[in-house]
Amino acid sequence: MNIQKAGYHGLYFPELKIALDGYHPDADFVFISHAHADHMPRNRSASVHATPATLGLMELRGFRGRSNPINFHETLDTGRCTVCFFPAGHILGSAMIHIESDSGTLLYTGDYRTPPSPASEGFAAPESVDYLITEATFSLPIYKWKSHEELAEEIRNFAKDSLEDEHTPVFLAYNLGKAQEIMHMLASLGYPMMIHGAGYKLCSVYEKFGYDLGNYSAYDRATCEGNILITPASALSNGFASNVSKKRIAYCSGWAALESRQTQLTVDKLIPLSDHLDFFELIGFCQRLSPKKVFITHTPNPDVVQHYLQKSGIDASFLQLEAPSEE
Amino acid sequence: MPISFRTFCETIQVIRGTRSTNTKIGLFAQLLQQIDEPWELKLAAQFAGEGAFDEISGKRASVGSRTSGLAAANFCEIDYDYVFKPCRTATGSSSEAIEKLMENISAAIKKRSPKELSLTDIQQIFEDLRAARNRSDKEIILQEAWKKMTPVEIKYFIRILGQGSLRIGFETRSVVASIAKAFSKNFEDVRYAHMITGSIGKTALLASQNRLNDAEFRLFHPLSFMLASPIESRMIEHPEYYLAEEKFDGMRAQVHVSGNSVQIFSRDLNDITRSFPEIIDFFRQRDMPPTVLDGEICVYKNDTILPFQLLQKRMGLKKPGKKILQEYPVLYIAYDLLYSGNEPVFDLTLIKRSELLKKIAAKYNLAVASQYEISGEEDINYLFEQALKHGNEGLMLKRKNSKYEYGQRRKSWLKVKKPGGSFDAVIMYAHAGSGKRGGTYSDFTLGISVKNDERYEEEFIPIGKAYCGYTDDELKKLNDRISELAVERYGPTLGLLPKLVVEIEFDDVQVNKRTKAGYTLRLPRFKAIRWDLGPNDINTLKDVEKYYQNKLQQERLPQDQNPSFSFH
Ligand SMILES: [Zn+2]
Repeated sequence: MNIQKAGYHGLYFPELKIALDGYHPDADFVFISHAHADHMPRNRSASVHATPATLGLMELRGFRGRSNPINFHETLDTGRCTVCFFPAGHILGSAMIHIESDSGTLLYTGDYRTPPSPASEGFAAPESVDYLITEATFSLPIYKWKSHEELAEEIRNFAKDSLEDEHTPVFLAYNLGKAQEIMHMLASLGYPMMIHGAGYKLCSVYEKFGYDLGNYSAYDRATCEGNILITPASALSNGFASNVSKKRIAYCSGWAALESRQTQLTVDKLIPLSDHLDFFELIGFCQRLSPKKVFITHTPNPDVVQHYLQKSGIDASFLQLEAPSEE
Repeated sequence: MPISFRTFCETIQVIRGTRSTNTKIGLFAQLLQQIDEPWELKLAAQFAGEGAFDEISGKRASVGSRTSGLAAANFCEIDYDYVFKPCRTATGSSSEAIEKLMENISAAIKKRSPKELSLTDIQQIFEDLRAARNRSDKEIILQEAWKKMTPVEIKYFIRILGQGSLRIGFETRSVVASIAKAFSKNFEDVRYAHMITGSIGKTALLASQNRLNDAEFRLFHPLSFMLASPIESRMIEHPEYYLAEEKFDGMRAQVHVSGNSVQIFSRDLNDITRSFPEIIDFFRQRDMPPTVLDGEICVYKNDTILPFQLLQKRMGLKKPGKKILQEYPVLYIAYDLLYSGNEPVFDLTLIKRSELLKKIAAKYNLAVASQYEISGEEDINYLFEQALKHGNEGLMLKRKNSKYEYGQRRKSWLKVKKPGGSFDAVIMYAHAGSGKRGGTYSDFTLGISVKNDERYEEEFIPIGKAYCGYTDDELKKLNDRISELAVERYGPTLGLLPKLVVEIEFDDVQVNKRTKAGYTLRLPRFKAIRWDLGPNDINTLKDVEKYYQNKLQQERLPQDQNPSFSFH
């Protein structure tokens, strides 16, 4: 199977003339797994296929091209292959892309999370595939997540305890996906929340698709004290809520599993809430699909995943993407 | 009530997660108050503040991170090279990687059935490890011990074993403060007892029994060294308040002597007596009354002080052979007096101590550093040049009326060092900083070129890590550029395309066999970001080697006129 690089992080299949998560000039179809920046095409005027939620989010994040919605479990025949989206459990709208052609079946995971994020459409996958292209962001056995219930409890307790001690709780979380997941977990408390502008504008899409994000408004420096605050970590060093002296900060990310993060970011609490699956879930998923071959992408440590998969008899390699040749 | 090692570790873990220093101190004080068994109290303070053994006992368990890593990999049934090493790299801490693996991997979970070990049990395991002869015996002891522990216990067990910091933002000073708080003592009294006893465990014990007054300076127990602060400008206020001495190119050492008994301690308070038999002989022949001296060991041959790099060949040698002794003979040059006439003299002023030292030196024919009065910058410049000509590092300025402030780095001693060298290097990795620089990449691994070096496959290899010397503005610009150059991410570390060139300044070049380059830079820091240069313009490993060789071969003025020291 021939796989090339498309755009910044994406893939191009020359025989099928389709591109995934990246723009390619020769592609008949471009499929986008989800609306995170490293999966969206850099070419903002491309014509793309994605789930309605992903398209909604992409448009709010500056996408100006042609949007072609595909629902989950709906199939599209390109003439060279059949494409079907499975819910990936990563963020709202996130999809795994299943491709069936003469060369067999292939599943491209994009970013995924199983058990799925409570603020996503859930998770589903085919029984088996011939080829699996999987992300492996947390590709080491030091990463093993607690259940969403436990983490949601930690998040609610952090908010409640801080407010009881008359401190403003601040959650550091990526502005698409993690931020809304946290708001969804906090919604039942009924406390007022304020979210950083970049994340605020995306919340309407979540609500449109039926997710309760609680009692929230856009971050306002003058009145933010006493609200639950949600912001990306980078905003904190640019003066976010710097007028509030009594605050407690929790960093919510899979990387929060590393203790060094606490001093690096100067936070009060690390909450390892990830929108990717952990190492054990990843290996288990690959085993369950028992593909002929696994290609590993988006990972700092392909060797470790490869080592584990090969030990359980699955052929695996790091997907080295080559730029398309000149001719 | 005795507390278990688990309670101890869980408290330590809470302290780690707490930001306020006062809260940390309070938490540990509470833990100390719960322990009523004196021996266990001593251990609790010692484990938190020093390590597996009393620092002054000189005992070491000698379990390297490779040994504990291999033992953990075997315990978890994972491959050391393929799996353990990347885990260690990602966490940046071998012990934290082990904690996580013990928690996550089913083979390890099955083997562990945690027991309530006491601190005394743990101490016994440390003793067993110390007594074990080889790595495989040590591995067996470690694995047997871990079977009885939770992951968090295992993590701190390894850190305590390493005789270093627990890395919980709770350093010795805070342990001292906890002891003071737990037993309602004055902080200064506890600190003094700690300095004198050199043992945080013993200090906790004395405080709990209202016996802090028992702490007294004793011969053959090293006292923490007084340290000097570097100064940038030579325009100091009231130069007449100071005495100048040359800053020797040697190794700091404290000599305790009484008649036939002689002991030498290094700056980290280790007993290094056996490495320097000629110094022992020198003092034995003199049959002196109880005396403690502070000074420097230098390689001294043909009336010349030879480079520190040669002294390195003597360091760590337990029993130097005849050839080494002939090739690199050493001399002890004293410059301070801490104990004399059966009492400590560190509370006397420098002037008084120097007077006493000179009297003793004259009587027993000791080498003593020359001291000079100074009246201004010109004197400093002149003496500084003279020190460099002697092959020394620079100048020390010591305040005449200061006491010997053991264990302190204040402004009573100032060091004027010569500017180091500088190289152009390329940034290879950026590491997310800590503390107030959290969230930005502020530590940088710098590489030099080995592009045309047939010994290497790569184009660049690391030569040091720098985390200061830039302005806030420069750091911001660097961070912007870094996000464009990042190609790999390992947790808090980014691998970069080698494009950013930095002029780095350093104190010295040192041989370091454990690095790829074989050398490391001492105290590298940013001098300028060279936006104008590219990776082809940077210095090479050959330049580093040349710098090192030049330094070794630099002409050194013999000690005939205006010597750095003299025998009185
Ligand atoms: Zn994503």
